[in-house]
Amino acid sequence: MNLALLSMLLPLATALLLLALRSRSALLVILSSALALGAGSGALFQVVDGGSETLLLGGWDSPLAIRFHLTPVTGMLLAFTALIHFLVAIYAARSRHSQTRHSDYWPLSCLLHGSLAALWLSRDLFNWYVTLELLGLISVALVALAGPKAYRAALRYLLLSLMASLCYLLGVALLYGQYGVLDVGLLAEVTQADHTTSAALMLMTLGLMLKAALWPLHLWLPPAHAGAPTAVSALLSALVVKGPLFILWLLWSQAAPAEIGQQAGFLMAVAGVLALLSGGWSAMRTPYIKTLVAYSTVAQLGYALMALGLLLFWQIPELHVALWLFVLAHGLAKLSMFLAAGEMQATLGSRRLTSLKGATQTVPVAMFAFAVAGGSLIGLPPSGGFLAKWVLLQPLFLEPSHWPWAVGVLLGTLASAVYVFRVVSLAFDRAEPMGPNYRPDRFAQWLTMLPALLVWGMALVSEPLIEWLTGVTRVSA
Amino acid sequence: MSLSLFYLCVGTTLWLLGLHGMLRQSHVLRRIIAVNIMGGGVFTVMVALAIRSDPVDPVLQALVVTGLVVAVSATAFALRLASSEAVAQREKQQEEAPR
Repeated sequence: MNLALLSMLLPLATALLLLALRSRSALLVILSSALALGAGSGALFQVVDGGSETLLLGGWDSPLAIRFHLTPVTGMLLAFTALIHFLVAIYAARSRHSQTRHSDYWPLSCLLHGSLAALWLSRDLFNWYVTLELLGLISVALVALAGPKAYRAALRYLLLSLMASLCYLLGVALLYGQYGVLDVGLLAEVTQADHTTSAALMLMTLGLMLKAALWPLHLWLPPAHAGAPTAVSALLSALVVKGPLFILWLLWSQAAPAEIGQQAGFLMAVAGVLALLSGGWSAMRTPYIKTLVAYSTVAQLGYALMALGLLLFWQIPELHVALWLFVLAHGLAKLSMFLAAGEMQATLGSRRLTSLKGATQTVPVAMFAFAVAGGSLIGLPPSGGFLAKWVLLQPLFLEPSHWPWAVGVLLGTLASAVYVFRVVSLAFDRAEPMGPNYRPDRFAQWLTMLPALLVWGMALVSEPLIEWLTGVTRVSA
Repeated sequence: MSLSLFYLCVGTTLWLLGLHGMLRQSHVLRRIIAVNIMGGGVFTVMVALAIRSDPVDPVLQALVVTGLVVAVSATAFALRLASSEAVAQREKQQEEAPR
């Protein structure tokens, strides 16, 4: 538990230090995220060996205390968050095209890291509200770093995020009024399937779905993620939308009564399939590079929502694993894709997809990273995306009545193949390549490649990954 | 109990009014006010739930205080962002005007 706390407090302390010293030192941030990565991995190995641990904050007793709970999923997410922050920090510091080198990006990204870590550790409805609010405010501030042209998108994002938090908070108030506890574990023992509970759960789910940009409440995401500076888009897409998803998962898989869960699960799975289709469709049609990547986030979140919905609908524990594998694979792939897209966009001097014509000649490494990450989004073996999809499909194939859902997965896969190949085929059109406006930055292009290679490497460590994740569901259930 | 029920209704109405404002209004300032009305509604619901017991439930009061802090800072941030956006908008218009 100490290591987990360290991985939360290190970035927080770094942020405060940077603010107090009025320094914008990238080196300090890289160092602190590397240490947090070490601490997070240490916490993960500890919890895998020794079982999950609980900490009651401030020494209060159980109904009053805020509970921190370290499970293998939490440990994995702590390490994952730190890893992503580490990679993005190196990119933001070293890329010549990074718009965030000497800006307030550094303390803000550290604060984001700390709030995410607090979210993964908390098991308390109200503490989650606070961390959600923190995530929202910090993300908006990060989006606004892009300058005056991003203020409108940032403001819209802020207001929607506040509205979503208040939906969630009203749900929390109703649940507390009904049962008198805020702890998820205690709530799981007392919840009953009555009207107040379902109304409260519905309000909380709406708020969380809006925050996680799950279909049909995703419309704010593409302008906000596409308008932000590249490093910020990568952080937002890879990590921030996963926070509310984590709460949604714990809320429904642990606290909610099974009867309500089954009904809601069906709706969620349907929404997931529709997210795959509508996100994929929009990604196929948009004329801008980063908007395409942002719509692909909407589509890929559909898999996670589908896994969660079917998990609640059929109570199949393997789908827990599928859900978290999707989150890890999507995070790494999307990191690579956004960094590559931003790098290509900055080098070629245009936000339009048509400028990628002949990109295999002008920005070969970044384009390769984009294609490799895209391969994982499509689910080509042996990438992380393939692994997640395989785990999701296995229970779907077992019974004939589950087969229609597999068609949904298939259509989603087709859609992602189409939008990835839309870019790749344009890039191989070498007849009249668009010349780069700026000198390509080799090192930054190789950096964008790194997460893509990591996600393809996920298949190599699939056995321990799945073991840890199944261990999780056994321990935390 | 009836007093609690009364305030519960008031809070829910405020929340719904705020939600309506958020969805229907387009001016930024109006939307910020709408979010604050929603927040007021939630806090009224919390206080209404707190006065059901005697002595008053301290946990809910603590939640309301924390929520107020969050609401105040979020509103301050939103206002600052809105005014920067308005300035940026005006400068853009002034640049375009001579042409």
